[in-house]
Parts: sequence; C-alpha cells; structure tokens
Amino acid sequence: MASQFIRQTLTKTKPSTIVRRFSTAAAVASPTGYEEPTGVTMKGVKISGRPLYLDMQATTPVDPRVLDSMLPFYLSRYGNPHSRTHLYGWESETAVETARAQVAALIGASPKEIVFTSGATESNNISVKGVMHFYKEKKRHVITTQTEHKCVLDSCRHLQQEGFEVTYLPVGSDGLIDLDRLRKEIRPDTGLVSIMAVNNEIGVVQPLEEIGKICKEFNVPFHTDAAQALGKIKVDVEKWNVSLMSLSGHKIYGPKGVGALYMRRRPRIRVEPQMNGGGQERGIRSGTVPTPLVVGMGAACELAMKEMEYDEKRIKGLQERLLNGIREKIDGVVVNGSMDRRYVGNLNLSFAYVEGESLLMGLKEVAVSSGSACTSASLEPSYVLRALGVDEDMAHTSIRFGIGRFTTEEEIDKAVELTVKQVEKLREMSPLYEMVKEGIDIKQIQWAQH
Amino acid sequence: MAASGVSAPTRTEVLHLYRSLLRVARQFCDYNIREYTKRRTVDAIRDNKNLTDPSQLAAAFSDGKAQLEVAKRQALVYSLYAPKVVNIFGVTNASHSSLGAIWISVVELVSGFMRFYG
Repeated sequence: MASQFIRQTLTKTKPSTIVRRFSTAAAVASPTGYEEPTGVTMKGVKISGRPLYLDMQATTPVDPRVLDSMLPFYLSRYGNPHSRTHLYGWESETAVETARAQVAALIGASPKEIVFTSGATESNNISVKGVMHFYKEKKRHVITTQTEHKCVLDSCRHLQQEGFEVTYLPVGSDGLIDLDRLRKEIRPDTGLVSIMAVNNEIGVVQPLEEIGKICKEFNVPFHTDAAQALGKIKVDVEKWNVSLMSLSGHKIYGPKGVGALYMRRRPRIRVEPQMNGGGQERGIRSGTVPTPLVVGMGAACELAMKEMEYDEKRIKGLQERLLNGIREKIDGVVVNGSMDRRYVGNLNLSFAYVEGESLLMGLKEVAVSSGSACTSASLEPSYVLRALGVDEDMAHTSIRFGIGRFTTEEEIDKAVELTVKQVEKLREMSPLYEMVKEGIDIKQIQWAQH
Repeated sequence: MAASGVSAPTRTEVLHLYRSLLRVARQFCDYNIREYTKRRTVDAIRDNKNLTDPSQLAAAFSDGKAQLEVAKRQALVYSLYAPKVVNIFGVTNASHSSLGAIWISVVELVSGFMRFYG
C-alpha cells in the first residue's frame, strides 16, 4: 500500500495539467504589470515575493469554504431574492434566509432581528443617525468614546452640525472607559450610547456587560460596533443588553461589501432608514440584497462558530510567540492598550527611539499597518493612540500586527526577525538612542533654539 | 428511531479520508491555505480520535468527506487564479520536491497508522 502511494506520488503530474484539461487558453489573463518571475515591484519598492500578511484587522482573506458556498450564486443561481414569481427568486430568497439564521445564531439573536447592509460603516450610520433622527423630538444627546471607529465619530459630528449634543468619553491609558464617568454623563435626554466592542487599532475589549447593565438601568439604547468582535470573542446580545449591533463580513474571513445590523425587537428600537426605496429588509435598508455576499457572510459566521475555540487557542500562542520573540531581542517595546482585556489577534507595539515611517518602509516584506487603514492617508498620529495618552513620538512608531486563522509559526518567526533587524538598524543610526545609551535623559534636554 | 443505515466508519475509511485531505492540502497554491488545511486536518482527526458513539463518529466522518469535496473544488479554483509570484517564503505546491513529498507521505502514513492502531 505504501509503495503504491509512493509510486503515485513519483508519477504525479503537476496541478497545472488540471488547468490544461479545461482550456487551451492561458489561465486568467493577469492584469498586473508589476509581477515578474523574480519578484514584485510597486511604488518603487522591490520585494522577492508577496509579503506575509499580518494585517488581519484591516481585512481577512476569504476562507475557501466561504468562497465555495458563494460561487454557485454567481454561476447558476443568480436570481434576485425579491423576485417572487420564479425558481431563481425563490432559491435566492431561501439562501438569504439561511444566511440570516446563521448570522443570528452566532450572536444569540433571532433571524428576524438581522438586517443586511453593505458593511459595518453603513450599519453604524443607520444606528447613530437613524436612531437619533427617529427620536429627535425627545432625545438630543449621544454618548460615545474617543476611540470609536471613524464612521461613528463622523456620524456624531454630522449630528452635532444638526444641533444634537455629543459627549466623547475619554479612555484610560489602557484603552478602557471609566464606567462611573459613563454613569455620570447619562442624562434624561440621552438617546444613544455607542461603544465599540473590540477596538480595531489596539484590540482592547470594553466591559460591555457592565455598560449594558448601566444602559438598562437608565433605559438608554446601547449600540455597539462589533465588526472586530464577531467570531472572535463570544458575542451575546442578551448578556450585553445591546439594542443595536453592527457586524462586518470581511473581518471574519467573508467577502467584502456586506455587513449586518442587529436591531432588537423586545423592546423594539426604531430607526429612520438611510436608504429609501422599495422597502426591502423590513424598510430599514432598501435595495437588492446581494445574495452571494450574504451567503458568504452566513457561511463565514457558521464557520466562526465552529472554529472560534480552536482559532483563539492557536492565535493566543502565536501572539505570545510574537511578543516574546520581539522582547527577547530588543528593549524599549511598549504594548499599546491593556494586555488583559484584549483580543489576542491584535498586537499594537510602539518601539522607542525609532521613527515610524522609516520602520514601515523597511518592513515591506511583512504586510502590517500603523494607525488604522482608514486614517493612514494623513500624516497625523492615530487619534486612538492620542486618546490613550501615548506620546507623539511613540504614537508615530506604533505598528499593529494582526494575527488570524491562517497565520503560521513560520510567518511569525520571520516577522519577528525582520522587525528586530529593522529596529536595530534604525537605532544604530539614531543619535537619540546613542544619548540614551550614554545615560542622558532625553526629556531633560534643553534643545537649543536657532 | 435511530438513523438506520448510518454506521460508524471503519479504520481504513478514516485513514483514507485523512490521506486524501492531506493530499488535497498539498495542491493549494496559496501557502497560508495549504498550511491551514494540513494543520486543521491533523488536529481534527486527532480531536475526533476518542469518539465512541457510532452516530457521532458517522457524523464526523460525513462532515470530513464533505470538507474533502469542498477542498478539492477550491484547490482547483485557487490554481486557476494563482498569482505568478508567490510569497516571500518562495515555496509553491509544485516546487515541493517529489522526495520531500514522499517523505511527508511516509511520515503521515506511519503516524496515522500508529495513531489508530497504537
């Protein structure tokens, strides 16, 4: 039996022959002008291959099992789920309802409480602006935090321009909000408390059960942006007492362009729709529901439910390996955000005496991020790190490593090696570091004015 | 009424499934998916090793077979759209030397046998 197996392996043809069986044309015409046999050149940077992907908070690769569930809906079952008169519509609608149930099962809700949107940004917009516009006669106040996602902060700014009042709760240096401060800020005319479950930049998990209890006490709707939390930590809408929750597809190994909004039915929370049209999705979000994307998100949620424990155990080991690997070789490494209350797949490190841009430029073989993908266009240090009270220079050198289901030990070791090499190289060249090594306290220096 | 006609899989069947899954894992062009499939197969077979209830065994086995079908299809799809440049580790499924593949197969076979008969 073994010899037969060895013979099969020896005479095994390469998978490229499988391609030839279907088509004599070349495989997909590659539109890329930047890939050569020896490497990749883009934006003046040449690397030997595609970088290691360690940016799971920005987005995640689509799991092959999710892709498998989506493809039939692009190929043969392409009906519009709102067509009531033929098989194409009926099978599409069944698929959407199955996906709805899968998403609901992951968060402990009923399928009737899930509305599919185009992403967590749209869900956040519907929650913040929709709720406040609906209750605008009686409720004029919104409470949120300084470390929220840009879409929530921007929606709040829009509300401020319309005349609502918004309180931005400060966070401690560990990234957690102060519950007593929240209690004090709630007023009789508070219409919404919006606090994200897991922060996308620093990975800190807020004390949502306690916040839910406080909101229940004062009877204030509680919205949480659970885009980064879904499928990673245990999400239970009953335990957290949330009225609204934003979910995202592409953070849980699903497709981009789809998300969901959980809206509680008992007690019912009402929102003003932001997308007007034919009344799909119970009038909350009109527009054709994109069946393949929604099916993908449902499959991703079902997978997440099965794999959550296994993934978490593994990712925790990888995070420790990364942190210990870096700390063994270099000092002056600071973890931004609380180490206890954090999601294990997010590690945000600041390296002292190193300049951030140059560190990132040297780390081109590892795909990591500094600041969040949404704000990296500007040169300002991330507002989240500023809210934590991190010094400007440390905020500039922060790197966010995102570890996910598909990350391997080899990748982590390579990332450690590259990071350490780059940091050491930059510190060699740094006059500030020389001064620190001589024992001079940088903060005491009186820089000469010219 | 108990599920009739659903019997627990035999040891050979499970071994066959295990080897097929590992074989299909090697065919993925994407490094991360390849490593994940290998790792997940080994861990799943190991976790289900101690099941005794025949209906649970049958359910796990049929789940494994379904996953094998998915993996076979996706290995093909991924190969159709494989990027020309692979990741910086520079290892594609095709460039696994056949000697290395044989070694891996023998090790897997032996460890699989030991796991089920030991």
